[in-house]
Amino acid sequence: MFFQQLFNGITIGATYSLVAVGFSIVYSVLELVNFAHGSFYVMAGYLVITMYSFMVLPYPIALLAALIITSALGASMNQFLLEPIRKKTSSGESVMTATLGVSTFILNLVMVLYGSETKPFPNPVDFGKFYVGSVIMKWNQVIIAAAAVIMIIVMSIIIYKTKIGSGMRAIAQDVSAAKLMGVNTELVITFSFFTGILCAAIAGLLVAMYYGSIDTTMYLGVSMKTFAAALLGGIGSLPGAALGGVIIGVLEAFVAGYISADWKDCISFVVLILVLLFRPSGLFGHKEIKKV
Amino acid sequence: MFHKITTAWALHGKPVTIATLVVLVAFPFLFSNQYFVTVAILGGVFAILAMSLNLISGFMGITSLGHAAFFGVGAYTAALLSTRCGWPFLLTLLAACVVSLIFGFLLGLPTLRLSGRYLTIVTLAFCEIIRTVETNWRSLTGGATGITGIPEAEIFGYVFDSPRKLYFLILVLCVLTYVLIARLMNSRLGRGITAVRDDYIAAQAMGIKDSRYKIMAFVISAALAGMAGGFYAHYMSFISPLSFSFDQSTLILSMIIIGGLGNLTGSVIGALLLTILPEVLRPLMVWRQVIYGALLVVVILGKPSGLLGNVNLKHIRQRELFRRQSPSAEGEVKP
Amino acid sequence: MSTPILRTEKVTQRFGGLVAVNAVDMHVEQGEIIGIIGPNGAGKTTLFNCITGQYTPTEGKIYFHDKDITGMTPFQITGLGMCRTFQNIKLFPHMTIMENVMVGSHTRIKANLFDVLFHTKSHNTAEKEAEERAKRALELTGLSDNPYYYGTDLPYGKQRRLEIARAIASDPEVLMFDEPAAGMNEGETADLTEFIREIRDLGYTILLIEHDMRLVMNICDRIYVLDHGTLIASGKPEEIKQNPLVIEAYLGKKV
Repeated sequence: MFFQQLFNGITIGATYSLVAVGFSIVYSVLELVNFAHGSFYVMAGYLVITMYSFMVLPYPIALLAALIITSALGASMNQFLLEPIRKKTSSGESVMTATLGVSTFILNLVMVLYGSETKPFPNPVDFGKFYVGSVIMKWNQVIIAAAAVIMIIVMSIIIYKTKIGSGMRAIAQDVSAAKLMGVNTELVITFSFFTGILCAAIAGLLVAMYYGSIDTTMYLGVSMKTFAAALLGGIGSLPGAALGGVIIGVLEAFVAGYISADWKDCISFVVLILVLLFRPSGLFGHKEIKKV
Repeated sequence: MFHKITTAWALHGKPVTIATLVVLVAFPFLFSNQYFVTVAILGGVFAILAMSLNLISGFMGITSLGHAAFFGVGAYTAALLSTRCGWPFLLTLLAACVVSLIFGFLLGLPTLRLSGRYLTIVTLAFCEIIRTVETNWRSLTGGATGITGIPEAEIFGYVFDSPRKLYFLILVLCVLTYVLIARLMNSRLGRGITAVRDDYIAAQAMGIKDSRYKIMAFVISAALAGMAGGFYAHYMSFISPLSFSFDQSTLILSMIIIGGLGNLTGSVIGALLLTILPEVLRPLMVWRQVIYGALLVVVILGKPSGLLGNVNLKHIRQRELFRRQSPSAEGEVKP
Repeated sequence: MSTPILRTEKVTQRFGGLVAVNAVDMHVEQGEIIGIIGPNGAGKTTLFNCITGQYTPTEGKIYFHDKDITGMTPFQITGLGMCRTFQNIKLFPHMTIMENVMVGSHTRIKANLFDVLFHTKSHNTAEKEAEERAKRALELTGLSDNPYYYGTDLPYGKQRRLEIARAIASDPEVLMFDEPAAGMNEGETADLTEFIREIRDLGYTILLIEHDMRLVMNICDRIYVLDHGTLIASGKPEEIKQNPLVIEAYLGKKV
């Protein structure tokens, strides 16, 4: 029981990690709480249904196309909606509210087009399962966890090792200084939206495959947990966000398993508040020194 | 153009206020259609919520996504005390304020340790925790079905049993909220709040105990939202956790951002706009929320700092009056 | 000599392994103008921050009128009668010039929540008094413009004066200026020098950090010189000018 919950928790936590890493990328660059992040997570799944079930494209192509379209839409949201707002005002709240609008738009559009009931999600390959002791492990779960880990590593390499990644970190520190140093800030910000939302889309597809179904209510839960995961680990720290996701996944599995599924959704927030009270910058965040 | 309007408004504040009040009082008589009046009542509830949130998010500068929680705590307090203990309306309303105030204090505490977006997410977490408790503590809150049969509002035997009567009740509460926050902000304490928001280090150096002001803003704001919740419970006669979800918090936040952060009149306008808009869009059926989301983005694209953001009528009035008094000083400051 | 108005005793501030201020002893007498000078990074502002409560010194004691104020918060210290300005101007951008200065008198007027919500007599008196004080401070600092524009709309030099006006409105005994002449041209600096002297004559005690040597040598009664967090010299301007350690700190070691 214990190890089974632990394993299930880690699997689902890995997908939270991936969404949180994506969220954290955008957040660290712009200090923006992107409320539309979770709606892209949902959107990718519905795109796969459209392309695989209705347009009868081959499965891998449908997956790939859904990922690219979702990320591109995410990047254009920045380019055509958020960027103009940022140019007009320094108020981060306005940009945040705009992402709320985008999120409302996407989710309700999906609901209008596909209906709000749960849809079966095609997953043509079932790799079966195996046992480790008494713990049942599905190969799909292993694949999900592995995919999430690989993506997180790839993202970390992009952020910490590439030129565009150093551009992102430069903007995170000081936008105008980055601009002066010749960083094409607009391009880099758009790129960070692209990669960040790519993470969300991949996680969305992994989860849809895992459960074999998809519905629009997935959005709210995952958005909230993403924020919690990112903060728990310390916003701006990718390893932190990744660990935060796993911690929340495991906590949820245990609460659902040993207490009640009713309280599953709020445990992450209780833990988050407790952690932040003692470590205001999260587990891995850096403490800011106030300068006078 | 906009500048001219705001200047004229600033200089003739009193007549504008009186005219607005006259229109508001006349409204239920001009539109005898009950539907309009009920929408207006809901608009009033949201106006209180928006104005009180503005205290935290506009004046104090802490973007909060937890406001629906205070609204809910107030509503549940009033609902439970009236259905289970038979308390009269005025007492349940007061109790709603007090209990929300306590929760406001609790949510205010993390503000002493955290800042910025971290705090925003904590307010969100707070909202979700409260909603989960409302949903799952079935013996107390009735779970997802909520509480039904909440008696009508009644003050010393006078029963508010028609939309028109309730309209005037909420109007009084709105005016009360407006005056309360306006007075607070135009005072020593209000300057303290603004100073802490603008630059807390400088504020401390001027002798302002910033923690006290943050807590004060949360406590007052929560009490007012609780009051709105108390009214709402008696008005609707049934409540459920759905009305106090995270979505409601974001709706209230959208209202004050569209109205302009730090502007009370803006909050009222924002609240009315976003209450009326879904009603106007009702014929669009399923497309309603889609259009609503799109419009929200369009409005912010058009006016990112809100309709009345960065407009402080008091400042404009003082500046204009000073200019007229001493025309020689004209043009000394070139902004 | 009477007890000094302000005295530090072996004040030390460490950040991790870095010793920003190292065992500094200094004292300020009533009515003096004291300068703190030193090369960039010498720990001048850190010392200021220790005195005004932004930092709690790692070691050492600070006395104000013989009262131990070590570890007190900035707002307590301002309440006692010490107020500062900032090196990088810190005005309140959403407040008018008038309101900025009115904030200064925050600790000197009394109005609680009840007063404010019900517009009691104390509220009205408090508002009137805050405004009077602000007007006086503005007049004193020569800010005669329309005081209902935003403080941040003022030109740079006037913004510095506004900060000084704000500090004066708090009715302090000791005024602390962190590089008041920074970014000012020669004319403005000369005005400022004159102005500081004027307010000293009104009874304020002044402690200032400054890079502009002419200003410091002109008006300071005594000067403390910091280098790498350590006090390397103190005394009258003429003594400081000839102190070989000071010359070395500023010009580097003679080869």
